[in-house]
Parts: sequence; structure tokens; C-alpha cells
Amino acid sequence: MNLRNSIDRPTLIASSFIVVILLAGTLYTIVTQGTATFIEPTYLLQQIKIAAFLGIVAAGMMMVILLGHIDLSVPWTIAATAMLATAVGGAWAVPVGLAVGLAVGLANGLGVAFLRVPAMIFTLGVNAVLRGLMVMLTGGFAPQSNATPLMVWLATGHPLGIANSVIVWVLISAALVFMLTRTPLGRYIYATGNREAATYLSGINTRLVLIGGFVICSLSASLSGLLIAGYTSKAFQAMGDAYLLPAIAAVVVGGTNILGGQGRYTGTVVGTILIVLLQSVLSVAQMPEAGRQVIYGLVIIVMLLVYGRSSTLRG
Amino acid sequence: MPTPALRPCSSPDRDAMTDAPAPFLSLAGVSKRYGGVRALANVDFTCRQGSIHAVLGENGAGKSTLIKIIAGVVQPDEGSITLDRRTVAFPTPQAANEAGIVCIFQELSLMPDLSVADNIGITAPPRRFGLIDRRAQRRRAEELLARVGCEDINPLMHVRQLPLSRRQMVEIAKALGRNPKLLILDEATSALTAADVEKVYAILHGLRDAGLSLLYISHRMHEIEALADTASVFRNGQHIDTFAKGARTDEQIVQMMIGREWRNVYPPKPQRSAPPAPALELRDIGWENRLHGVSLSVGKGEIVGLGGLDGQGQRELLLALFGVLRGVSGETTVNGTRRRIGSPAQAKRAAVGMALIPEDRKTEGLMLPMSVRDNISIAALGAMTRGIVVDRAQEVQKIDAIVAKLKIKFGQLTDPVATLSGGNQQKVVIAKWLLTGARIVLLNDPTRGIDVGTKQEIYQLLRDLADAGTAILFYSTDYDELIGCCDRVLILYDGRVVRALEGSDITEANIIASSLNLTLNAADHAASATAR
Repeated sequence: MNLRNSIDRPTLIASSFIVVILLAGTLYTIVTQGTATFIEPTYLLQQIKIAAFLGIVAAGMMMVILLGHIDLSVPWTIAATAMLATAVGGAWAVPVGLAVGLAVGLANGLGVAFLRVPAMIFTLGVNAVLRGLMVMLTGGFAPQSNATPLMVWLATGHPLGIANSVIVWVLISAALVFMLTRTPLGRYIYATGNREAATYLSGINTRLVLIGGFVICSLSASLSGLLIAGYTSKAFQAMGDAYLLPAIAAVVVGGTNILGGQGRYTGTVVGTILIVLLQSVLSVAQMPEAGRQVIYGLVIIVMLLVYGRSSTLRG
Repeated sequence: MPTPALRPCSSPDRDAMTDAPAPFLSLAGVSKRYGGVRALANVDFTCRQGSIHAVLGENGAGKSTLIKIIAGVVQPDEGSITLDRRTVAFPTPQAANEAGIVCIFQELSLMPDLSVADNIGITAPPRRFGLIDRRAQRRRAEELLARVGCEDINPLMHVRQLPLSRRQMVEIAKALGRNPKLLILDEATSALTAADVEKVYAILHGLRDAGLSLLYISHRMHEIEALADTASVFRNGQHIDTFAKGARTDEQIVQMMIGREWRNVYPPKPQRSAPPAPALELRDIGWENRLHGVSLSVGKGEIVGLGGLDGQGQRELLLALFGVLRGVSGETTVNGTRRRIGSPAQAKRAAVGMALIPEDRKTEGLMLPMSVRDNISIAALGAMTRGIVVDRAQEVQKIDAIVAKLKIKFGQLTDPVATLSGGNQQKVVIAKWLLTGARIVLLNDPTRGIDVGTKQEIYQLLRDLADAGTAILFYSTDYDELIGCCDRVLILYDGRVVRALEGSDITEANIIASSLNLTLNAADHAASATAR
């Protein structure tokens, strides 16, 4: 119990790195522009709002990574959800969007759990199929339909003083933490990710667990797609592309083992904030694009090296 | 190249066959330890040219270690090897290969996705301008396949497409392609069909007449009789005896293979007047070509052992029962009701109440990085919930009780199970299943790699469970254990139950004889029934 209550190492490292990023960025802006943009509350709140979209995708992605798999169909799950939801419009927009996520998750889960196709290949294929279907549907042009008022409200409304998208992120996070720590399913997800054979031989239906993980991942991507469409008030083809690698990076930087079985949800939240702040600071600091990419990549590699080293020492 | 060692040539000691030509290979005073386990102790061993030399012994007698040392796979801790009157050392398998020592191992060494020709030529492919000469390689493969009488195998076929028996022939062709002077066959005929066995016998006799030295390891006594001209018996890492074919009776050989003192570490067996009511009955269980018409029954409160040599279908039988294997034929009856068990989840449900302690606790029994708590409660977690939430109080309470009962030793419940000793890890696996309230317990060699103290605790635990009415089906590679623990022992051979031993018939001699599918002539065997 006491282990669970203490903050684990990756979360601690990632948190301190957030502070480092903010301080370094502030130092840079004070020297170059004479302002301290990065530690102003409005800036930080804005970043949290943006982080919600990535955070929801990363939350789902974490379930799949905990299982020892990966979901590369996230970009077009987001885009397909947004496009179909805006195309249908009206009261059915949100249910249709989530139905897309459910369908993609079931397809991915069945492919990995029953056909035993490696998730990396299968979900990449599903991503391509979704893209093809959407191009067929729209005839290759950007869809003209706009987000419904409900989607816009979910993404940008702030009746409680905080953006609704952040509240959605918090609710999803609370539900996943509850699921991971308190329910048998959560225990089975960790167990399956650690050693599927041993879990199966313990009389657990690991196929259902796998399908469950993929469904949660795709549903989260769909939800994020609805919010992004609401935020930008329309759907467009490449809207999901910017979320796949950052979501994986957020999960892994948050301390989840990319091979599955280990990781805590708080780490994913911290990892998401780290990734969003890093991207933002690098762009606000007006660093050239090439340099931004180099630093972004290096940060992720260095953090993983630090974790990798510590885990081999412990093992 | 074999590196000559610095010490002077020791004169190899002679065995019973002193009139024979000088030994080709001889080992003097060779010992090998793995950690605390002594695999070979001060072994002297020789084999001659123009001879087929059989090596006999129980599981764990040191046969494999002997071969690995000769083949350069492992290095001896002490002792010297003399090959063709020169003292040699083989630091790598390649060094042994270059000296003309070639092995055909039980586990096939072929790459399934390469062609037959590629596999045969893999160590030294013919080259032309620095590239592999595929045409020459194919011709060579054809020649070698013809030598083993397998002209029908197309050298361009992928090994994956060949049935197991053909693969074994390719393996033999590959070995011949390396021009061996000493050929070692480790259970190399276990997958052959009867027609191929005849061919292999002819090839091996031909090789012997051509002056090769052959070491032949097999568990099949009749093969040894048909092939070998000399035999050596190993037991507990020691070389017991070497004799010419026909110089010892089967009884004497079996006696040599046992010869171990029996320690009283087992709880007493209950005396029964009537057979117990059956809890688990199997009829005609078959699976692929590994299980053939296995019928047996395990009574409530009975411990039934599965014996026989490794790989005669015991593991497959337990997995088939537990719903792990696909395409199992036959009927399973639990407490008088016929059940179809298609997965471990179905085997676990209350109506069946089955548990399996798997063979490899590290990969099949435990999630090593997860905590002791998570590992113990995983199988019974579904029954420890309030709504959809795990009832942690109930979980901890049940775990505490089972931990106390099995005397599992660890730091904290949250420690990774990987930090526990082997014996305590195995107790965690058993605890996991006891929490499910299983009434039929299948065990797959549960005491492997476990210290003696924990073994005794497990034997006592099994007897306690049985006394409480649990039916136990127990596969062990340790004959001692089968004799000490089991009310009945069924011997499997080639996927069939060939013998059922009961009461005083459960002796090491009987188990070994039945394992080799022999019938001994001693009087006390007449009473034992043959279950088929």
C-alpha cells in the first residue's frame, strides 16, 4: 500500500523536468524579450486546455501500451470520428462519433486478440483503411460541415470557470485510475501486459482484456476527435496526425514501460503536460523549426535512457 | 582448431573391452557443476572407432552434460579430454566440429524458413567468387540426402513444409555433410517413422563399418539393443559401468540406473479398503500425435502420479485437461457430469474447480514484476469483489490466511514476486490456486529447481489437500517423488498409458522398466495391471 501512495520515480523526474523547461524558457524570454510569459497563469491555463486533447488520447493509449501493444490507428480514428460526427450533425453527432471509436477498437482488439496479428501491423492497416474510407466519403476534399453546438460547448465552454475539455479529461482520468487500481479489469490489464501466458493459465480471459484495452483506446481517441473538432469548429483530414507520436511519447515519458505491464496513470498526465509545454516553449521561444525537432526528440530519448537505466539497476 | 592443453597426455584408462583398438575419444576425471548442482562427477569415459556406443541413464543422470562437454557446448570444471591420442580442449562448438565431432540434438537445429539445401550447407556453404554457390550447394544437398536414402526430399523446399520425421532425416544429412569422425545422436530418432528408423539403422551401421565412432543416446531400450555394441550407464553424474552388448540383463541395467538411496521425506499414504469415488474421469483423450486414447480416473482424495520419461505426453495431457490445447478428442467427466473444458477460464469455474500448477513458474505461473499480493489473488479476484470493485479487505484477509497456511516467506505483500526464492515462488503459484477453492489439482513437475525443505512441505501439503478430498494428478520427472507421494502411478509412453502401478508395485524398478516399455520378469510384477 505504501508503495502505491508514494510518487514513483518517473513521475518525479518528469515533474521536475517540467519545472526545468518552464525556468529555462522564462530565462530565455526574459533575456530576449523582457517578459516572463511561461510562468503567467493565463499561459499555463491555456496550455492545460490544449493538453486536454492530447491527454485524453494518451490516456487510452496507455491502456494499450500497458497490455504490451500499441495503437497506430489513432490519427484516423480521430479524423474519422470528427468527420462522421460533423457530417451527421444534430443530436446524433456525438453518439455516431463514439460509435466510430467503438467499432475501430473492436476491430483492433479482435485482430490482435484472435487473429494474433502484431498490433503494430494491424492498427497501421486499420489506420490506412480508415483514411481510405474517409477519402471515399469526402471525395478527397475537406468536408464542409461544421461542428455541432454540443461539440463546441464540450471543447470550449467553461460554465465552471474551467474549460469543459479539461473537465472531460479529469473525469476520464478519474475513471481510468479507478479502473486500474480498484477493479479486477485493471489488475488483469497489468497482469496480461506482464505475462499473458501466466494470466491466461490463471483462468483469465485475456482476449477479452485485450479487446477491452483497444476499445478504451479508440473510444478515447474518438472523444478527443469530437473535442478537437469542437475546438476548431470543423473537421479536417490531417487533424489526428499531430496526436499519435506525442501521445505515445507522453505515455512513455510518464514512466509506462513500452513493453507493457508497468506504469502509473499519474505519470501519463505529467508526461502529457511535459510534452505540451515542451512543444509550446520551443515554439514561443521562436526557435527555428529544425532546432525544435532536435530538442524535442533529444528530450524524449534522454528521459527514456534515464528510466531504462534505473529499471535495469533495480532488476 | 582444437587447442592442445598444456598438461601431458594422460594414458586413458581401459574399460572391459581392452582387446579393442585404442580409444578414439576418452575423458579422464571430468567434473561439471551448475551452481550447487553436480552434473558430472569425476567421470572417466572412452569410446572407440568403429563402434556404436549407447549411453543410458535416468533424467538428470548427466548424459546431456557429458555430450555437451564432448561437443564443446559447456566447459568441464576439471578433467581432460583426449582425442585420437592428443589432449584437447574445445572452447566452442566450432572447435569440436573442426576436430570431427558432430552432434545431432533432440531439439532440431534446422531453420524452418530456409530451404533444405541452405540448412544442410549452413556452416560451410560452397563459395564461388566469395558468394554462395547455390547450384553447388544444391548438388551437395542432393548427394547427402541420397546418402540417407531420402532422394524424395526436394532440396529447394523450405524445412517448414516437411513433416517432423523428414526434418530429422535432413538433420542427419546435415550432420553427415560435416564429415564427422565422432557422431553424437541425442534422442535423434524420437520423431522418426518406422520406415525411417530402419533406414537410419542401416546408415548408422554403415558409418560404424566405415570406422566412425558413434555415441547414441536413447530412452528406447529396443533401439539400443538393435544398434549398439557397447553401452554405458550413468547415474547422478557418475559413470557406473560400461559393458558389451548382451553382457548385462535388462534387470541389471535397470538396477544400475536406480541405485539411489531412498530418503523418508514423504508423508504416510492412507490405507484404503475400497477405491474412492472418482472426481475426474478421462476417456480416450487424444491430441495430434502426442496423445493416443488416454483413459484414466482420479478419485476424491487420491494422488495419482504420471510417470515415464520426459516428453511422452504427460505435459500435453495436463494442458489438454486444462483446456489449453485445441482439437483435443475424448471425454472429460468431473464428479459424474460430462464437461467440455475449452479454456483455463472454463476449467476454473466452480462447476469444474480445476487448477493447474504449470511447468515453468517464471513464464507460466507468475507475473514476475508484479507484487506477491497481485500474483496470489489474480485467479480468485473475480470472487473477491463488491460490485465491480475489488474488496481489498477481503483480499488481504484471504491472502494472509493462505500465506500463513503455506508458510510463504517474503518481505512485504507489495514486493515483486521476482524477489522471492524459487521455493517460495512455487508456493505463491500454489496459493493462487488454493484461493480458487479448486477440488481437482493438476501439477506439472512442481518441485523442479526447489530446495529439499520446500519439497517436503509441498509433499505434505499435497497429502493434506488429498485428505481433505481434493483429487490430485501429479506429473513428476523425479521417480522418487512418484513413489513417495502417489497412491497410484500411471506410466506414459509415446502418448499412451502403458502401465498402472499401485501400492507396493510402485517401485523404481517398475517405473523405469515401464518407462522404457519393457516387461521385467520378477515375480512381484505379475500382479500389476496394465491399463490401456
